[in-house]
Amino acid sequence: MSNEFQTHLPPISEIWVYLSGSPLLALVLTLSAYWLGLTLYERSQRNPLANPVLIAVVVVTLSISMLDMPYAKYFEGAQFVHFLLGTATVSLAIPIYKGLASLKGRIGVLLLSLVAGGITSVFTAVGMARWLGVDESLVRGLVAKSVTAPIAMGIAERVQASPTLTAIFAVSTGILGAILGRYVLDALCMTAWWQRGFALGVAAHGIGTSRAFSVHPEAGAYASLGMGLHGIVGAVVIPYAVAWWY
Amino acid sequence: MIQGLVQLFIFQALGELVSKFALPFIPGPVLGLVLLLAFLSVLGAVPASIDLVGSSILQHLGLLFIPASVGVVLYLPVLKANAWAISAALVVSVVATVAVTGGLLKVLAKKEPTDE
Repeated sequence: MSNEFQTHLPPISEIWVYLSGSPLLALVLTLSAYWLGLTLYERSQRNPLANPVLIAVVVVTLSISMLDMPYAKYFEGAQFVHFLLGTATVSLAIPIYKGLASLKGRIGVLLLSLVAGGITSVFTAVGMARWLGVDESLVRGLVAKSVTAPIAMGIAERVQASPTLTAIFAVSTGILGAILGRYVLDALCMTAWWQRGFALGVAAHGIGTSRAFSVHPEAGAYASLGMGLHGIVGAVVIPYAVAWWY
Repeated sequence: MIQGLVQLFIFQALGELVSKFALPFIPGPVLGLVLLLAFLSVLGAVPASIDLVGSSILQHLGLLFIPASVGVVLYLPVLKANAWAISAALVVSVVATVAVTGGLLKVLAKKEPTDE
């Protein structure tokens, strides 16, 4: 009986060829890596160093290189997840709308600080990188890195930067901001939650925002607003600024 | 749930159309965001269906960056060669951005006695 079963079982290499030809493998890999990342993040009491996206990217990267799966092949399957970035961008209207409703006439102050912060972000990153002799192919990826990743990748395509590099720099910026932000704000003796949150949202977008939410709800609401407004303003202004600069 | 998803896709599609035919320098999804924001302002509230789907997607925004970020494998050699300089640039930039945004906000907010 068991012999008969074995003869009907296709060779393992055939199963493998079949599986890697369908998008399922890449999808399962992506989702389970993210699940693992989330679990570790919760286990570590939401330590910003245990960022779930970072963990997932490391796990997927190692897995596909062990499986000898080229990136293009992986992306073919994972593009279904990637596609939702656009939908997520549209959804950002929800926190922005809710944030705008509770503004109490602070919009002018917020917009001025946002513009100053956005300019600082681009010039310090690009300036430092050039000064330290970073390869020019990487420098362009830094231009949109403080904008929330889904929008940053859209901007990247318009300024002939690599969306991949931009996404990596954006995620790194978010993690760094979530870790370092509080020390900078403490050093400035800032006590108002809405100001602290907004600064984190502008500088460290989604990851900074989830950090702000875990500290205080008002900080979180203003952080989403900062992230969302920075996304809209950045998408309009950055392509022009780059065209003018180069 | 389906209702909210359809509505979000419609705004995304409208954004792509406006981007393609009227404002090619702004990414379609951003225009979709602005259109949805305008729609919500007209309504004066967030419909429960859109809120449910949109908030679930945003809660797992990080998941959606993974496919693109895994592309890091294509850039590993050049990133390794520039690792320290890139890290320094990212750290300096994020610290400066928090400081400028927060600092300016603090100074400007003090000048407005109507606040608080």
